[in-house]
Parts: sequence; C-alpha cells; structure tokens
Amino acid sequence: MGIPFGVSGVTSMSEPVISMQGITKRFPGVVALDNVSLEVAPGELHAICGENGAGKSTLMKILSGVYQPDAGVMTIGGASIRFANTREAERAGIAIIHQELALVDDLPVLANVFLGRERRTRLGLLDDRSMALETARLLETLECGVSPRVRTGSLRVGDQQLIEIAKALSLDARILVMDEPTSALTESESARLERVIASLLARGTTILYISHKMEEVFRLADRITVLRDGRTVRTLEKSQTSPREVTSLMVGREIHDASSMPARAPSEPILEVQDLHLPWPGHVRGYRLDAVSLSLRRGEVLGVAGLMGAGRTELLETIFGASPPTWRGQIRLRGQQVRFCHPAEACAAGIAMVTEDRKRLGLFPEFDVAANVSLSALERARSGGLVSRKAEEELVAEPIQATGVKTPGPHAAITGLSGGNQQKCIIARWLLTQPQVLLLDDPTRGIDVGAKAELYALIDQLCREGLGVILTSSELPELLTLSDRVIVLAEGRLTAEFSRSEATEQKIMEAATAG
Amino acid sequence: MSDKHTSGRRWPAWSSEWTLLIAVVVAVIATTVIDSNHSYLYRPLESLRDIARNTALLGIFALGAAVVIIAGGIDLSLGSMIAFSGMVCATTMLALAPEEMMASKPVGGWVVAAGIGMSMLVGLAVGTLHAWLVTSIRLPPFIATLATLVGLRSLARALCESTTAALTPSKSAQIYVADPFFKMLRDNVWISVAVFAVLAFATWVLLTRTILGRHVHALGGNEDAARLAGIRTENVKWFAYCFAAVTASLAGIFYVANESVAAPVNQGRGHELNAIAAAVVGGCSLAGGVGTVPGTVLGTIFLRVVIDAVSKVIKTGADVYEGLIVGVVVVIAVTFGQFGQRAGSRQLLPGPLGLAAIPVLAIFAGGMVGMTLGTSAGTGTGVVALVLLSGLRTWESRSASAG
Repeated sequence: MGIPFGVSGVTSMSEPVISMQGITKRFPGVVALDNVSLEVAPGELHAICGENGAGKSTLMKILSGVYQPDAGVMTIGGASIRFANTREAERAGIAIIHQELALVDDLPVLANVFLGRERRTRLGLLDDRSMALETARLLETLECGVSPRVRTGSLRVGDQQLIEIAKALSLDARILVMDEPTSALTESESARLERVIASLLARGTTILYISHKMEEVFRLADRITVLRDGRTVRTLEKSQTSPREVTSLMVGREIHDASSMPARAPSEPILEVQDLHLPWPGHVRGYRLDAVSLSLRRGEVLGVAGLMGAGRTELLETIFGASPPTWRGQIRLRGQQVRFCHPAEACAAGIAMVTEDRKRLGLFPEFDVAANVSLSALERARSGGLVSRKAEEELVAEPIQATGVKTPGPHAAITGLSGGNQQKCIIARWLLTQPQVLLLDDPTRGIDVGAKAELYALIDQLCREGLGVILTSSELPELLTLSDRVIVLAEGRLTAEFSRSEATEQKIMEAATAG
Repeated sequence: MSDKHTSGRRWPAWSSEWTLLIAVVVAVIATTVIDSNHSYLYRPLESLRDIARNTALLGIFALGAAVVIIAGGIDLSLGSMIAFSGMVCATTMLALAPEEMMASKPVGGWVVAAGIGMSMLVGLAVGTLHAWLVTSIRLPPFIATLATLVGLRSLARALCESTTAALTPSKSAQIYVADPFFKMLRDNVWISVAVFAVLAFATWVLLTRTILGRHVHALGGNEDAARLAGIRTENVKWFAYCFAAVTASLAGIFYVANESVAAPVNQGRGHELNAIAAAVVGGCSLAGGVGTVPGTVLGTIFLRVVIDAVSKVIKTGADVYEGLIVGVVVVIAVTFGQFGQRAGSRQLLPGPLGLAAIPVLAIFAGGMVGMTLGTSAGTGTGVVALVLLSGLRTWESRSASAG
C-alpha cells in the first residue's frame, strides 16, 4: 500500500516534503517536545507511534499551526516556514483530522466542508448549489454516500471523519495528518478508510498517521517514527522492523527496579468486581466496559494499565458511583454487595476517588487550601451547628501534614500551589473521609518528577496503613513501581493480569495494544 | 472591584466591597452638592427613609438572586414571583374573610398570618419546581426561570380574576388590601429595613458559616468537582431556588403593603433584573462560585442611591431613568471588576468594532446628558466623548503595535 519508498535511511533521503528539526515545545511545568526531528518523504504514509504523553499530538499540532514551537525549524517542500495559526498551515497545504472531530453538528455537510470559505453567488448570497455539487463530488471519491445537505450531527462518526477528509481535499491539502482515525470506527468503516487512504496516497498525498494499533500501522505505513517522553527515538523502515521492536522502543526506558520499594503484605480482600459491563449507547462498540473483573485486598496497590480510551476512568467512576447507574455485574465491598448511585454514597461507605483531571474535576479555584481540603468532611469542623474557622483549621492541619502539602498556610489560595501540592490537597481531602479504598485516576499527570516521588512515597505509606488502592496511570514505569498487581484494559475489556514479578512494560504494552 | 483571588482571605472580594462603600459615599456627597434643593442637607431623615424603603424592598430578593447566582444558576422569575406571592396572600385573605376585605375592614390576625403563610408556601413550591426543572429535566436555569417569569404573572392574573369572580360581586384585576397590619408595614419603613437586615445577616451566616453555604459556593465554583467530592448537588440547587423564591415571596408582601393592593399586572414587573444587577454590581459572578452578602447589600444600596441621586438632580420622577441608570451602573461596575483582574491585557476599542463603537458611545453619552441637562450640554458632552475616545483608540493602537 502506498508508494514504495527507497530502503535508505533518513539521512540519505533526497527531498523531504516535511522537515522538522530541533522542535521544542514547553507548557507550564512540562517540556512536551524536546528537540524533536522528523523528516517525511513526499507521498509516503508516515506513522507516528508513542505512549500517551510521548508528544505525538503536540508535534502534529505544531505541524498544523495549532501551536507554535518554542524552538526549532520547519520546512515544507524546501521552504522554511512558521505558522501563526491553522489558516496559514491550510494555505500551505496541511490539514489535520483531529481525534475529536471539529465539525459543527447543527450545520449541513456542505456548510462544514466550506466553513469559513463559503462560495457566493453574484448577488453575494450563499451558493449552496455549487457547494453541494462539489461536496457530493468529493464524497463520491471517498466512497461516502451521504447527502451534502443532511445535518452533520446525524451522521455516524465514520462518515463525519470522511467529511473532515473531504474538507481537507477541498482545501487541496497535500499533507494530511490523521490522529488515531480508526479509534471510533467499526471494522467495515476502518476498511473503507484504508481504501480511501490508499487512493489518497496514489494521488500523491502525504499522510502522517498517529495510531496505537500496531497491526494497523504495519499494514499501512511506509515508515514509522517512534517518540518517547517528548523526544524522537528513531525512524524505522517498516520492512526492517517488527511490531515487537516498535513497542519496545515506545516503552524504551531502562527497566525500572521493581524492588525499589520493599514488598507490602496485602491482607484480606476488600473490594471485588465481577463481570462489570457498562453500556455505551450510540457508540459502535456498544460498551465502555465489558466483562471486567478484579479484586483488591487491603494494603495492596492494584494498577490499571491501558491506553487512552481503554476504560480506566470509567472503571473507577463506576465503582465510585459517578457513572450513570446503567452498569451490570457485581461490586462487593467488604463482602457486601453495593450499587452506588451517587459519589456521596460511595464516600459514606469508605471509598474515595482522586479524579484524573485535577483542574476540571477536583479543584475549587475560589476556595483556599483549607476549604479545598475540608470540603468532603465539613461536618467534622462544626461547633454549635456552624462551621468554625478554628475547628476547620485544626481539622485540615493533620492531613495537610500527613500528605506533605507545602503551603504558606491553611488560608493560602489553592491556585498558588504547584500541581503536586494541589494533588496532595485533594488526597488530603479524601483522607479526612477516612476511606478504606482509595481510587487514584492518573494522580501524577502534569506533575514534576520530584513531586511524583513524594506522591509515590505517600501512596506506599497509605497502603501500608491498610488502605486498598486502585491506581491508573498513563505511565507504565509508575504502575510498575507502585503496583502489587497490574491489570490491563484494551478497548473496554480486560486483556491481561500480571503479578508484580511477572509484569514488564513490554508485556503490558502488548496487552494494551491487543485487539 | 480589583479583588485578588489569591489573597489570604477565605473568600475574595473584600476590596470590592470597600470600593462600593466609597462609591456610595461619593454618590451621596455629590448629590448633596449638585442637587439645587440640597434635600440631603435640609431633609436628611426624609431622604434616608426614601432610600431605605427602596433599598430594603429590592435588597430582600436581591439576596435571593445572589444565592442562586453564587450557586451557578440564575433566577429570572423573581419579579413575577413577587406579583404571584402578593396575589396568593390577597386571595387567601379574601377567601377567609370576604366581607371584611370588601369593606376594607381589619381581617384579623390569623387571616393575615394565613395569607402570609400561603405566600411563603408557594415560594417553596415554585423553588421546588425550578430545582426539578433544572436538575431532573435538565433545563438550563435561564430557560426554566424564563418560563416561570412569563407563566407566574399570567397565573397570578388568572387567579385574581377567578377568585374575585367567585367571591365578590364583580371580576377584578386587583384586590385591595386595607388591613391595619399592612398599613403598619407601609407606614413604618423601618420594619422592612429590619427584615432586610435580619435576612441579610442570616444569609451571611448561612453562606459563610454553614456546610450548606460552603456547598453553595462549591456548586457554583465547580459543579462536576462538587458532585465528585460527594456533595448532593441537586439538593443544594433545590435549596438555592427555594431560597430565592421565598425571598421574592417576602418582598411580595411588602409590595402589597406599600401599594395597599395586590395588582399582578404590574407589581414587581422587571424587578428580577434589578435584583440580578444589584448582585452583579455587588461582585457576584454570573459564572458562579463568587459573591458575598455584604457585596450584594452594598450593590443594592449603590444602585438605589444612584437612582435617587439622578431623581434629585433632574427633579423629575426617577422611574423614567431607572432602567437607564441600572444599565449604565452594571456595565461600568462589571467593566471595572474585569479590569482589576486582568489589568492592561486588553484593548477597549480594537479593530473595526472599536471604531464603530466610538460614535455610538459618544451619541449615547451626548443623548443622555442632553435629555437631562439640555441640548447644549448634551452636544458638548458628545463632542468631548468623541475626542476622548478617539484619543484612547489612537493611544491603544500605538501601544499595541509597539508591544
């Protein structure tokens, strides 16, 4: 598939259509891309692989003008270029199909294809007729049989994606970036997309393709570039590599010493989940979680591995009563069957959950540190029916100290604290509810290395005090460092379970990219 | 309004309240000087009573509006709730004591109590309806309370016509209320002021010193996080909407007393917006999570003082200009509030829109001054505004291109 490309490596490539050299992009607190280089030959399908957070999407957003690099040079077709916005990138012939499609649901298909570049009649009115004809022509080349006048929101995701591609084609895009295009498609839709990709390549379009699915990458790609931790690891010819080599490059780091923490001694089971099925109405897969079983003991950290969209967060939210209560299966807490319909019930029963998106789902930016910590246990700061400032200060002092929050005082603004300290505040909030099970959803995301180590020590200590912990993480070394056992989810299903001694990054990555 | 969200206090906006207090004092002093009758100087008690009456009436349900806004919602129905609650009070009394009501005689304490009690109950009922529409049906609060804004006034009118048709010789669009209790409420301004003060204090304690109050702030600040922190957000909303509707019920009683009549056609019409304006001027953010009782009280006072000042200065009924003043005060107060938070990061008159805004603003300013102070003053103001705004734009675009 695609135009065969010379066997030579990157260095001897004659005329790359895209050349990115030394691209660096920093976000507050994180270096997303560190001196990344990428060369793409004209007419090839170049796959970009890497773990969550490796920098794939950031790199593509720089290429398509969404972000501007802090350092580095970019040339398109030999000319040095710098995009101030996506419009400029479009003009240079680069279009991106985002993972989350950027279509206006309420507009008809033709209006989306021509959004911002509407054709007009001589009177200055919208020329729907000509736009509809052109849209129909484009859609036909894409094997997409939808009418240009139908409301975009009423279409399936697979068709919507083709409309994004049609939009890119109407822009005369020579370079197409696709960010995990098949993640929401059925098999027949994926097959159609692959045919469309083949015909685009035959026309000379260059495609950059981000995917987690090794099988797909090896079917489509001419070359593969692996990113890890914001750096380029290597660019490989497909013919000279194997899925195994690519996954091991994605994981890459020297294997972490799993015995860096002394072994814990888990005791009796506290939480058991059996055959959990969480439906996903309106999605081709039909479920967010299917046939997931697990058991958690006191004093144990159970790691949940899985790529983006594998169902990690949904699993924790279902246990915590934060998902719609449409799930089937059994959840037993201390042997008692439970079914929480609201986080308040789970909280009262001794379950706590530190949510994934700290800013959106955890913090109250208008509250100070004390109010953020005391929120879920405020009844303990009452005297005579009213919340007493002094009692609240006393209440939060202990968990703030226990979790090691560094704050100028209990009444400092939470927004002035570092990400790591904010996260500790949220853990402190939950410790006040005296939980027996702690659910941690990617707790170290966006936190610097030093604070991570402190959080690891805290989690280990809580566990030794008898808490059962379920931990998800997008970073495998973190899971391997902290977990006594690791379960792996892929596309909502449990694909593997490893004990601490069995688990390796390689095995987990293979289980997570299965299916 | 330049409060620092990051200051050490538990909740922000202390400096915003000081700013408002100073603004009130400045407005009073300016009115004393400019007013050619100098009525603040010669008849201070009378002036104070006027302002106090209006402030207390607006303030009572402005507190309700503020609580809903802090909880991240909005209640547009308060003006209609005032009319509806007054009507329910009057019909209850008419049903229990028809002869006395028609003869404008005292109806007796328990009848008055029943009337007021029913008003409070319908307040709770309407609040519950709002909360149900917002949490269970998932209507946006704006839509839910827009429906009751139009619906409740109509219902009040229908209630009036059907009860008067059934209980009195002729159908009527209003019910006169002449009981001495209501006369007392009307004649003793300090009763409404006392009710306002007590309610404000109670609301302040509730918002700052109770778990429910903390949860109101949490809900408005970050609803998803509040739910995930184990807060029953639907119950907090239920409380907030009931609180607002009951404050409007309470205000409805005072409206009936002040006018000696329950007249649902016009009573409280448009006042929901004044209440929201008072809360916003007082520092409440329509995004939710931010706002205080002292701020809302001062916002109410400031609005009423400015309205009174304009009526003193131009010597005609303030009601004509009331809407204009509220509008201008809200725009200026919120603009200053925003500038305090992100000072200098924005242009006031950018691009073609800014260019078009210059003559519009100049004409509005000139027109407003011209209608109150005469044509020449209006023209002068318009020209000065035009020159100043053009200068501002030139300066802004120059510093923007330099930066």
